[in-house]
Amino acid sequence: MSAWRQQEPAYTDLSLPLKLLTYLILVAGAVIMVLPFVWMASTACKPPPELATLPIRWIPENPMCLQNLAELYETSPNFSRYMLNSAILTIGRTVGQLITCSLAAYGFARYPFPGRNVVFALCIGLLMVPFQAIIIPEYLLLRQLDWLNSFRALIIPGIFSAFAMFLLRQAFLQIPLELEESAMIDGANPLQILRHITLPLSGPALAAFAVITIQAAWNDFLFPLVVANSPDTRVVTIGISLLQGERSTPWNLLMMGSFLATVPMLLLFVVLQRYFIEGVAMSGVKG
Amino acid sequence: MLRRVTLLILVMLLLALPALAQEATPEAAGTPAIAPQACEQPGSLTMWVWDENWAEVIGQAIEAWQADYCPGAEVDLQVQPWGQYWDLLKTNVAGGDMPDVFNMSQDRFYFYASNDALLDLQPYFDEAGVDTSLWGSGMIDPYRWGDNQDLYAGPVNWDTIAIFYNKDLFDAAGVEYPTAEWTWDDFAEAAAALTDPENDVYGAAVYAEYQSGYPNWIAATGTTPIVEAGRTRCTLTDEGSLEALNFLKGLYDEGYMPSVSVVGGTSPDDAFNFWLAGKVAMVAGGSWKLPEAIEKATFDWDVVQLPRNPETGRSRSIVHSVGYVASANTENPDLAANLILYLVSDEGQKFFADAGGVAPANPALQQQWIDSFGDAGVNIQTFVDALQDSQGVTVFDEIWDKINTELVVNIFDQGMSVEDAANDACEFINTQLPEQAQ
Amino acid sequence: MLTSFLNWFGRTPLTRRRALWGMALVAPNVLGLLFFFGIPVLMAFATSLQQWNAIKPPVFVGLENFMRLATDPAFWQALFNTLKLMAMVTWAEIVLALIVAVLLNQRLRGRAILRTVYFLPVVTSTVAAAIVWAWIFQPRYGLIGNLLAPFGLGDVGWLTSRDLVLHPIAAVTVWQRLGFDMVLFLAGLQTIPRVLYEAAIIDGANRWQRFRHVTLPLLSPTTFLVVVLSVINGFQIFDQVYIMTARTTRGGVGGSATTLAYFLYQSGFIRSEFGYASAIALVLFLITLGVTVLQLRLQRRWVYYEAGEQR
Repeated sequence: MSAWRQQEPAYTDLSLPLKLLTYLILVAGAVIMVLPFVWMASTACKPPPELATLPIRWIPENPMCLQNLAELYETSPNFSRYMLNSAILTIGRTVGQLITCSLAAYGFARYPFPGRNVVFALCIGLLMVPFQAIIIPEYLLLRQLDWLNSFRALIIPGIFSAFAMFLLRQAFLQIPLELEESAMIDGANPLQILRHITLPLSGPALAAFAVITIQAAWNDFLFPLVVANSPDTRVVTIGISLLQGERSTPWNLLMMGSFLATVPMLLLFVVLQRYFIEGVAMSGVKG
Repeated sequence: MLRRVTLLILVMLLLALPALAQEATPEAAGTPAIAPQACEQPGSLTMWVWDENWAEVIGQAIEAWQADYCPGAEVDLQVQPWGQYWDLLKTNVAGGDMPDVFNMSQDRFYFYASNDALLDLQPYFDEAGVDTSLWGSGMIDPYRWGDNQDLYAGPVNWDTIAIFYNKDLFDAAGVEYPTAEWTWDDFAEAAAALTDPENDVYGAAVYAEYQSGYPNWIAATGTTPIVEAGRTRCTLTDEGSLEALNFLKGLYDEGYMPSVSVVGGTSPDDAFNFWLAGKVAMVAGGSWKLPEAIEKATFDWDVVQLPRNPETGRSRSIVHSVGYVASANTENPDLAANLILYLVSDEGQKFFADAGGVAPANPALQQQWIDSFGDAGVNIQTFVDALQDSQGVTVFDEIWDKINTELVVNIFDQGMSVEDAANDACEFINTQLPEQAQ
Repeated sequence: MLTSFLNWFGRTPLTRRRALWGMALVAPNVLGLLFFFGIPVLMAFATSLQQWNAIKPPVFVGLENFMRLATDPAFWQALFNTLKLMAMVTWAEIVLALIVAVLLNQRLRGRAILRTVYFLPVVTSTVAAAIVWAWIFQPRYGLIGNLLAPFGLGDVGWLTSRDLVLHPIAAVTVWQRLGFDMVLFLAGLQTIPRVLYEAAIIDGANRWQRFRHVTLPLLSPTTFLVVVLSVINGFQIFDQVYIMTARTTRGGVGGSATTLAYFLYQSGFIRSEFGYASAIALVLFLITLGVTVLQLRLQRRWVYYEAGEQR
């Protein structure tokens, strides 16, 4: 759609004192936000003797990042495979959710049918059962389907989401009806309208959807562990937790693994956050 | 540069050590303590372990078993993360998919045994002529079940507790190094002399965690720590328990031991890291901590037996042994038992002894385990000695938080009296004992 | 009969057609959800009427688990802890996330970096977070211990105190959820047409008035989403308890940090009382459902939809 237009945030420039205050608040918060990540990166590069120092040491005296990386791969030779599996799971779930959830969100937002609110509430209701309560039933269900330890088990249940549906529905509800209506008058069916009008107008919401869905899929641990922890289907979060034994906790390797697993998510966010500042040109419709 | 070369040489030496050790061991000196048997019929088994390092070692052992004793057998060896191992096991059990052979720990055994989920291995040990008394009673008693006290597990390894002490701090304070004959009084004296508030150094940290902590001191008084074997009653309010806890609380009250908060937690790692950081002179640690201490300690150190109780004269250590168990519902019980027999035999345990770190349960292999550390300059024999008067694990998961964190926090952080904390713990423990015991 | 059914379905052919489209559009996701999550949830609820330790066959016990819940002090404590935590967390999380999102939605140097940093907790490993937070609250050697030392509060054991332990857990919860809410708010802020601000400026509205009368109302659908999700999440706080107390007290001294979700996990996987755990899950579900239905009803009062047919 050519409706995309670079839009700066709709605020006037701040006066200097206000700007300083803003920075002060944001930077103070940012320090707390970033600490665990810095700790992770720093520990990933520590030699064993530096792992247990008091007071806490943020910068290793003898950094050995590459040695730790090599050791990680020695301990867990299939680590890259686990990353790949995570990527497959993530892509599968995200693409799947994009389809199922945008369809459903659009249906709930624009096409009233009897019992719509009940069905919607039912779906949201599923979010309210803690996963700890359904671990065993979930396992039994997928066992019954004979899906255990397969990519089917990793991906397919994950392509349905009440959360993503809710998120997209709220976004679709904010889109002006006029555009859709004019398309409808032109004889477009709902799928065409969704594809050509609603989705392109939901850029920021889709970016938010992508960021949240992708990171949730990538970081998913309990579900893959219960239904698909075989060497072929093992995902990276499980790979990391396997480094920790009953009696041994190689913090540097654990953190190196976590760091490797976090970097793709950070890059993704950096790429996608562009969409949070690229507003949708709606001025032509309203006002 | 020089450092790096030294490091490289060290690494190469370490790598070469197992090979050297193997050459040094004379082949088949005398009859083996436990001899494996050929399996009657090969089949397929699934097996669970919780540690990637173990999986590697056990994987090698299984390959040797397949080659030498059971050609054609298939074993699907699966690794589960330690942190979720027991949750996953319960999930699989719920689906009727218990693995045929899997690792078990003493504190979890009761649940599976009392629900008839495990295979009785006693007949198999008897048939193979294994004298189960060759394993110390602390190691295997917690794995006995039923009217005849049959053995349901083959022990893989053991670990005992000793005091790790920082020689540099002893030297600085002018305190003599401890000996295996030292008593609680000597220990208290040393802790007092080693405490140095100005430099933020504590004398000792020995109370935390079931296995490393206060239960060892209770055991030394002759009382079974926390719960009587067979889950019959709570012993925390017994005289011996109160004596041990009050002794430790005395050291804490004097400021010779840090609080839970200062150490940063009640896990055995927290206190040990505190020791590694040079903040405490003496820490109670398990034999599993040896590789870590060798790798990380930046000061001179050694290990010594836990001090003796002045009245009983006993130095006692909690011993824990991981076991191999088989599912009661396995389709190949004979094969599962045959594999376990191999894994606990001299031949099967050699893989553990060579790998170092984990002490193999089979008594024939202790020297090989000690040798696997090379010349660390540490009295590793202490841990083997501690086996002689050791105490098996009698506690269980349901009361773990209560005795392992809450009781410890109450006494060694919140300032609750030993009597109150013990009463509070017993009150809860009583609710978790089997009905007939109450 | 047929007409009444058709009327129920839609009065005109057009509304009927729309209704059919609506059903077709929602069908894949709804059916998938019902199959893969609805069935397990029903199974769990069925288990709540049983006594089951995962090994022995389950025994039907009727409402016994629920009666036991009603008189179990541990359950009431967990419920109380959960509500207290939610009271501390939900508003703080939403207000802070909104402030951060609004501030980061301005022309500022380095805002891309700041945005990424605020998102970091969402993707950083929980193990790393656990260690760092345990350190932050560790007396004497920790960050807070060091900061409070001049006031004589350096040795306060935040995590080992019955009365204080919920505060650090609330702090971690806010910290962990902030980036997540921020992403939603940032996306929501973008849907506010710029012309509205321009018009407000022409009308002489100051910064606060623009925020109050343009941003807040137009952002309300997003705020609604965030509120509903944060309440649902608040009832399920589990990871944070695990993060904060894994290395100290596992659920707080005397269960002082035990939330309903944590209590559920304990009952099921530690004590092997899966029937009882399922009963907790069902009660938790009903409470959350009640609160959410209330929110859905109240949304008409404050949620402003740009367009559409929110009924």
